[in-house]
Amino acid sequence: MRKLLKFIAVPVTLAFVVLFSAALPMVQSASAEPPRSAQEQVKAGEQIYRNGILPSGQPMQAFVKGDVPVSGTAFSCASCHLRSGIGSVEGGVVTPPTNGELLFKPVQVYYKGTEQKFFPFPPRRAAYDEKSLAEAIRDGKNPDGVVLNDVMPRYQLGNEDMNILVSYLKTLSSQLPPGVTDSSIQFATVIAEDVPVDVRDAMLEPLQRYVDNKNSQAEFYKSPRGNRSRLMVEKMFTSKELSTRKLGLSQWVLKGSPETWRSQLEEYYRKEPVFALLGGVVNSEWQIIHRFSEENKIPCLMPQTDLPVISDTDWYTLYSSKGYYQEGEAAARYLNSRQDISPARPIVQIVRESREGKELSAGFTDTWRDLERREIVTVNLKGNETITNSFIERLLAEKKPAAVILWDGPDIKGALTFIAADKQKPELVFVSSRYLGKQILAVPEQARDITYVTYPYSFAQKVINSAMGKIAVEDESKFIINAKDFSVRDRVQNARLNSNSISQLVTMALMEMRGNYFRDYFLDVIGMAPDQTSPLFGRLSFGPGQRYASKGCYIVQITKGAEPEIVRKSPWVIN
Amino acid sequence: MAMRIVNIIGMGAVILMLCSAGTVTAGEQKYKRTVDRYTMPDVVLTDQNNRKVPLKDLIQSKTPLVVNLIFGSCTKICPILSAEYANLQDKLGGDPRKVHLVSITIDPENDTPKVMKEYLKRYHAQPGWDFLTGSRQDIDSVLKAFNAYIPNKISHYPLTLIRSPEDGTWIRLFGLLSSAEFIDECRKMGIQ
Repeated sequence: MRKLLKFIAVPVTLAFVVLFSAALPMVQSASAEPPRSAQEQVKAGEQIYRNGILPSGQPMQAFVKGDVPVSGTAFSCASCHLRSGIGSVEGGVVTPPTNGELLFKPVQVYYKGTEQKFFPFPPRRAAYDEKSLAEAIRDGKNPDGVVLNDVMPRYQLGNEDMNILVSYLKTLSSQLPPGVTDSSIQFATVIAEDVPVDVRDAMLEPLQRYVDNKNSQAEFYKSPRGNRSRLMVEKMFTSKELSTRKLGLSQWVLKGSPETWRSQLEEYYRKEPVFALLGGVVNSEWQIIHRFSEENKIPCLMPQTDLPVISDTDWYTLYSSKGYYQEGEAAARYLNSRQDISPARPIVQIVRESREGKELSAGFTDTWRDLERREIVTVNLKGNETITNSFIERLLAEKKPAAVILWDGPDIKGALTFIAADKQKPELVFVSSRYLGKQILAVPEQARDITYVTYPYSFAQKVINSAMGKIAVEDESKFIINAKDFSVRDRVQNARLNSNSISQLVTMALMEMRGNYFRDYFLDVIGMAPDQTSPLFGRLSFGPGQRYASKGCYIVQITKGAEPEIVRKSPWVIN
Repeated sequence: MAMRIVNIIGMGAVILMLCSAGTVTAGEQKYKRTVDRYTMPDVVLTDQNNRKVPLKDLIQSKTPLVVNLIFGSCTKICPILSAEYANLQDKLGGDPRKVHLVSITIDPENDTPKVMKEYLKRYHAQPGWDFLTGSRQDIDSVLKAFNAYIPNKISHYPLTLIRSPEDGTWIRLFGLLSSAEFIDECRKMGIQ
């Protein structure tokens, strides 16, 4: 169900189109199944709308552009109308809303406050009813008989399947969610009480500043001149709906052990419903908050964590990156790209039994397997186990590895020294810059020629002129920088930069939503957002359905000598 | 409610004015066709099977070449371009000697070989349709060579390019084509 719009320029501003066309044979579906409950009906409709799968388990079939056959698995309603049903604009194609709130009402076109009663094109249309909606979906005609753009597929749906889909559309984005009123949008940020104060403040301050700035702008225009000033502010904001709403940011502080966090979150939410969670920081994995968001359908935007949930299908939490896991991925891809490394010799992975070690190892192992490379040897280190010279000697003598992946930190000077001094030393050793933290430059001199560091941050930036003025972007032509110019990242700095990026994204998203404050639409809009520059990661890039904004990682080496340099050995995207 | 619609219209109209791909009406030819020559950069890309593909080898092949620029998580334009590819493969009986279909990603960070392989599977791609990725720098250089550079994947537009193996010229098709139109354009380049 994608309605592709076309535009027609009208002298001053407005323009539009929607065309549909072509008729398809209607397929009658068997109705021998027992009747569904209302809930099952909605679920079945959701499956058609989002995934293009009919209750029979078969994909929907359709034709697009008149004669191009498409299957529902490649092309579902949600592709263009988005999960929220509010529609989208992409590649010159505008897709109108199909959510329950708007479908069954007429769409009027206004220009400068006057209804354009004779505006001949979509989106102006009469209200849909069930019959005309079915005709639009099958035959591409709106209630006024206007043929819709042929980019809108003509779906071959039987009556029963059509009823299921139409029932679902009635419920889709039909009511504003908890946390949104006519005068406010409420957010919260989740903070564990044991998070260091400087990290908490660094995460919180940019978010609070954004909320305060937005609210004070609106307040500023509430002068005694009343309406006139209100009109001013409405014209200044690109979203007038936002100018009339105050933003709120609560702090949900989690106390005690993580096992109790879920009930604390539920209690906070019960007392004070929020539209979305912004940022947030804890000292452990984000998983508990992730599950809370997922099951309550509450968006959570870029929590400050390097231990996110890795999922291809979860929807509600958007992360800045895959954290440690991503460094493991990068090490595997880089190693795979090194044609000079003998595939006959094994790869040994030494993994500290910690959450960081576990994620690094998972990223490496999963990617190595996807690359269809041979098995790796994994040796686990207990939480407090020290790496001794004899441990290294034995391991290298026995396995004779081409590469050692050392997922340990932050003090690995001893281990690297032993490896570098061994007569069976491997050709490469990988370590993680996140796990090393401030020790990244403490790689021992004698191990530097074989040590490769995964570095998931911006390496060097340059300033360019853009339509928005001067901006700093990643400089991928730079391969060497002096160690003293190298950014050793820390948690406080990362938290501040991450929250700055959140503020930018939320500013854009709330403007773009234009009153359609539905949670799925919030995520839809961010998914359709242009890439953002980031001083931390270089570039933050979501996309439809993408849940990790920064996806690359460099591999760097530190040169020997009193004034070492950092040498970039890989592109940001390693294949 | 009505005001909300007006706002949506306003937004769309502004975007339309910035976007040259949008002004089409039903019934007329909906795509723009030009004949161009391009000089390709000497870069090595990676395909869905993690194989290295020197772009020059691809271009110098005797097999007619069709290129489109897409990304795996695109939900609107790219699925149509991919459906056209799948349909053409069906029509040609899946013979990879007749045409080499190539999709080049404009989202190299997300489109890993694994993502690309799954994407092709979703479209039941047969041998002769490859999906290529690379470093952002290399991808940008390819886009610039095709005069199709965009700084942002979301602002992309539908573009298909067909190369004649005889004289090295490219047919540049800007817009979305029907199946019949696409097959007709391919036929003009000797693909049948």
